[in-house]
Amino acid sequence: MTVAERLRVNMAQANGIYAVELQNTHIFYGSFHAVKDVSLPIERQKITAFIGPSGCGKSTVLRAINRMNDLIPGARLDGQVLFHGKNIYDPDVDPVEVRRRIGMVFQKPNPFPKSIYDNIMFGPRINGWRGTKAQADELVERALRGAAIWDEVKDKLHQPGTALSGGQQQRLCIARALAVQPEVILVDEPCSALDPISTLKIEELMFELRRNYTIIIVTHNMQQASRVSDYTAFFLMDSDRAGQLIEYGPTEEIFTSPKDKRTEDYISGRFG
Amino acid sequence: MSTTTNFDGRSTGYLPEGADINRNIATRRLRGKIWQTLFFSSLVIGSLALATLLYTIIDDSFGYIAVQTKIDPEELSDRPLEELSKEELIEILRANISAGLFRRFDRDEPFSERSKESVLQLVEERVIGREVAAAFKLTESLLERERIEATVRERFPRAELEFHSWINREFLTRPMSSVPFLAGVGNAILGSLWVIAITMLLVVPIGILGGVYLEEYASDTWYYRLIETNINNLAGVPSIIYGILGLAIFVRALEPITSGAAFGVTDSNGRTILSAGLTMALLVLPLMIINAREAIRAVPQSIRQASYGLGATRWQTVWHHVLPNALPGILTGTILSLSRAFGETAPLIVIGASTFIVSYPDSVFDKFTVIPIQIYNWTSQPGSQFRSIAAAAIIVLLVTLLLLNATAILLRNRFKRRY
Repeated sequence: MTVAERLRVNMAQANGIYAVELQNTHIFYGSFHAVKDVSLPIERQKITAFIGPSGCGKSTVLRAINRMNDLIPGARLDGQVLFHGKNIYDPDVDPVEVRRRIGMVFQKPNPFPKSIYDNIMFGPRINGWRGTKAQADELVERALRGAAIWDEVKDKLHQPGTALSGGQQQRLCIARALAVQPEVILVDEPCSALDPISTLKIEELMFELRRNYTIIIVTHNMQQASRVSDYTAFFLMDSDRAGQLIEYGPTEEIFTSPKDKRTEDYISGRFG
Repeated sequence: MSTTTNFDGRSTGYLPEGADINRNIATRRLRGKIWQTLFFSSLVIGSLALATLLYTIIDDSFGYIAVQTKIDPEELSDRPLEELSKEELIEILRANISAGLFRRFDRDEPFSERSKESVLQLVEERVIGREVAAAFKLTESLLERERIEATVRERFPRAELEFHSWINREFLTRPMSSVPFLAGVGNAILGSLWVIAITMLLVVPIGILGGVYLEEYASDTWYYRLIETNINNLAGVPSIIYGILGLAIFVRALEPITSGAAFGVTDSNGRTILSAGLTMALLVLPLMIINAREAIRAVPQSIRQASYGLGATRWQTVWHHVLPNALPGILTGTILSLSRAFGETAPLIVIGASTFIVSYPDSVFDKFTVIPIQIYNWTSQPGSQFRSIAAAAIIVLLVTLLLLNATAILLRNRFKRRY
């Protein structure tokens, strides 16, 4: 990256165009070079989709953005991941704060084996909740409405979250992420375990959430990427099995006039 | 051979065809049947072993006994002894035992201060002297009553035959005695409970904390791996080794503490309940840590990730999610350790549990005995009556263990969670 480019990026950061920016990021699992040299600025209040075949490192990159990879023994990152102009991998940054401000929704719905209410309130409580009971009730309702599941669960807030259907559980997980009011939400293949109707609901929900949140979504489903996202990043593994960013741009461009031959092949279903 | 039995009538060439299909299926089914029979027979062997054990124990625990007395109570008094006054009982005692013995009893505790029950007991023990002349097993008692009656009439003409359950209320509450008929496991049960209480007090918190550290905090480095390997191996070390360890450390080296001398307890040595509890704690700690780790590892990773993803610290994740979800498993492990400690004998013999003791323990600095040691002691004594009380003590031990396991299962089901 040239000095001029870097300057432009820094200006953009200052102006708040980019929510998160990966700069020359390499990710290692022990001695395995899992992701090679990814530079990826992610725009604020847009949906960015990561696509690519299995094992291409897109989930790894996603998990690097809120330091979830720290939980894997031997995982290491070179380069920078900027959030508000600050590298979240700097030694003085606490991953706990990063994860509070950059939330995550996982591939498999994973509600806690607690009531729906407690699922929502867990995040606020562990982060030092000081509100009243009435404020908590309000927050729960707001989070559940935000995740478009309020009407379905408002009469059973004190029943276990694990008793809901798969699609409802996933929306509960989204509501749980919303309750700590993050700026960015990372979504890892949220619909891979869901039926088409639940999938549609989640997609509509993400469209809604875009107004207030920056969303990064990993998906195997290219129709989904083209339907919901503003930007698309295409990843592929190279001959060393290391993931690489092949092409990144506005979704429409990627899907209609990809610059890279490999992107075109993947999009048109010729491999992957 | 016909090749048209395939559904579409086509021959594949590399799969059985025609009648071969049926023959092939028959062979496969036969192989399955053989294995099923093997699995079933191992179950049968196990059940037979269990049935034999139960049969032997129960056979020994119940049956006819021939009771005879030195003097018929009716010769002493024309009224039942229970209705006599204390003074009358003292007179009977004076008349029937030697003067020296009578003086000794008076010296131990003056007759004027003794209760009527105490004097009655002396009369029953010393004057009437009820004793078991012969004991019979349950099977023969049920099937060969006439033969038993004949034998008893011939050999013990004064004896009376009565059906006796060796396990009864007195057996559960009385202390040890050299006369099997009067012996009980009361102080052994109490001793076992004391030892278990100390063991659990130490092992449960240390085991859980250690398990949490190894599973949630320790990184995968050589010294943690070394510790892990050691723990796994220690769980398999013969228990007598722990006895020797306990003897060296707790009974000998730490005697001032384990005997209570440091806390002002006199006339005691290191062979106390405290030493036993500490030794048992060493013995079951590896088991407890392994069980706690298994339970913690069984908590789905997705729950931890969800918690971390919301900004929880490691401790918050452990406290709010890992421990509550691992609790049923940890409880199971706790009960397993408890059962192990309850039934363990060898280390306690090494550290010097008393085999003959009539006092009840009332502090951790007391000498003690436990149920398995009583069983061991009685089975090594000659005479069928000792065998009978050993069997009765085994029933006590088994029932206690069953109750403990039942509690564990109830607790586990109560805390069971859905993911």
